[in-house]
Amino acid sequence: MKKKIKLHLKYFLLTLSLMVSGTALSFLLFSYQSFNTGNIALIYILMLILIVWFTEGCFYWIFAATFAVICINYLFTYPFRELNFTLAGYPLSFLFMFTIIAITSAAVRSIKRQGIILQEREQALAAAEKEKMRANLLRAVSHDLRTPLTSIIGASASYLENESSLASDSKRELVSHIYEDSNWLLHMVENLLSVTRLNSGGTSITTSLEPVEEVLSEAISRVRKRLPDLNIQVHIPDDLLIIPMDAMLIEQVIINLVENAAIHGGNEKTIECRIEDSDSNVIFRVRDHGTGIPKEKLDSIFDGTSSSSSQTDGSRGMGIGLSICKTIISAHRGTIEALNHSDGAEFYFTLPKKEL
Amino acid sequence: MKLTALIIEDEKNIRDFISTSLSTQNYKAVTAFTGTEGLSLFTSIQPDIVLLDLGLPDLDGIQLIQKIREWSSTPIIVISARTRERDKVLALDTGADDYIVKPFGSKELFARMRTALRHSNRLNTTSPLYNRPYHAKDLTIDFERHLVTLGEKEIHLTQVEFKIVALLARNSGKVMTYDNIMSEIWGPYTDTNNRILRVNMANIRRKMEENPGEPVYILTEIGIGYRMLEDDISG
Repeated sequence: MKKKIKLHLKYFLLTLSLMVSGTALSFLLFSYQSFNTGNIALIYILMLILIVWFTEGCFYWIFAATFAVICINYLFTYPFRELNFTLAGYPLSFLFMFTIIAITSAAVRSIKRQGIILQEREQALAAAEKEKMRANLLRAVSHDLRTPLTSIIGASASYLENESSLASDSKRELVSHIYEDSNWLLHMVENLLSVTRLNSGGTSITTSLEPVEEVLSEAISRVRKRLPDLNIQVHIPDDLLIIPMDAMLIEQVIINLVENAAIHGGNEKTIECRIEDSDSNVIFRVRDHGTGIPKEKLDSIFDGTSSSSSQTDGSRGMGIGLSICKTIISAHRGTIEALNHSDGAEFYFTLPKKEL
Repeated sequence: MKLTALIIEDEKNIRDFISTSLSTQNYKAVTAFTGTEGLSLFTSIQPDIVLLDLGLPDLDGIQLIQKIREWSSTPIIVISARTRERDKVLALDTGADDYIVKPFGSKELFARMRTALRHSNRLNTTSPLYNRPYHAKDLTIDFERHLVTLGEKEIHLTQVEFKIVALLARNSGKVMTYDNIMSEIWGPYTDTNNRILRVNMANIRRKMEENPGEPVYILTEIGIGYRMLEDDISG
């Protein structure tokens, strides 16, 4: 209630000040340049349109229009300083003025209403998109978690049940499977954890200024820990680039892209990681020399749906990984793309240099 | 002589795994479930090193570090499932020597423990051990002559750059937080903005590292600080 009164007071003061300034302006022009009454009326109409635009409810413009009519009559038409509504044509001009304002007011109100409707529709669409992404993610997660868990449970159970009859070679093999698959699980959990850093659905993140080369080299050193035999080449620009980002999340994106290249690159040739400086963006490229990405997958590769359907049971999906990359980069207001070059695949993403 | 390690951790499986692997490395492992138990064990057995989980059932690990640091400089390694940088920085700035994030391999744990134990013997800053040159791979740093050489080549660093490198080298193997380095180099009342440090580090790497995109000597811990490659000879 209090808020409403405050709002009305604001509107009233705005109306009043606009009318007073309109009158002052008219007065100035009228006395210096012998402006005619027609132009004065235009100034008032302009003020009235402003009032209609910035206030709500018809009270204000009716009040202002009446004010304008009286002012024009009293101050700017002969006889000056006198109210006289009987001059020829006068009632007609006032009628026109009122009609113009009434129509403008109706138009403005409908524009405002349309704006609100449009905004609501956009919000609903964004919410639906978010919901879809979440559902995709969950589906991919439960599929991808089950595979390594099956192997871990199976291997450890058969070790416990057959410990005495197993040869030491096969024991070793079982345990190393458990080790590999738990590492894969950890990788997945780290990815999921990074999603929790995105506040409520990935619209806002907390960024700090970070040197891009440090983030890249840290990511590469973590990949090397997990895959020591990998052939990676890192190129950074000579100039130090410091841009706003959530470093942990960007690190996760780079790790995902490089591991993706390692798994799907198809061979052991070098993977190139490169940072490039462009006008308003920094570009990160991860390039492999493998088999490339099947054409039919290129469009949907970041959707998180590609992992389960078309894959053989043995290999691991990168479905979650890439969809998380997309979510993270979008939250940074950047772009991420996948493409095939003459000799393999390339993933690149851009981050804006300016603060979000 | 066997070194005594106190493990304060409430998860039974993790405690078992740590003490089993420690016993293979000639450590004597003592375990505690809770912070209070850990604290009283600490005073009674005087361990050589403490492995501490931050999320304990009774009191927070950070409080425990504070209590121990009131009267003891025994190395503390934090073992934690908390992954936010804030928690790590807080633990380090409170007085922990290092942290290690769950899950971890036993190899990594042993390496961190060795580093922490080594530094605890080096606290005396006038001892010859402290002033003897740093050496790792091709890099040599002579603290007294202000000389940095990579292989045969001498590397020319500015005053500030040398100060940073020397500080990290004296604490090699250990992570130094940004705040820690800032106040050591520029004094305790510097800006909280660490951009100047990051810029200096970029220059140092361009002079010292073969490929600054993949540094070998000074490693970054994102959101926390820098860690210099462990000194070769001190092992």
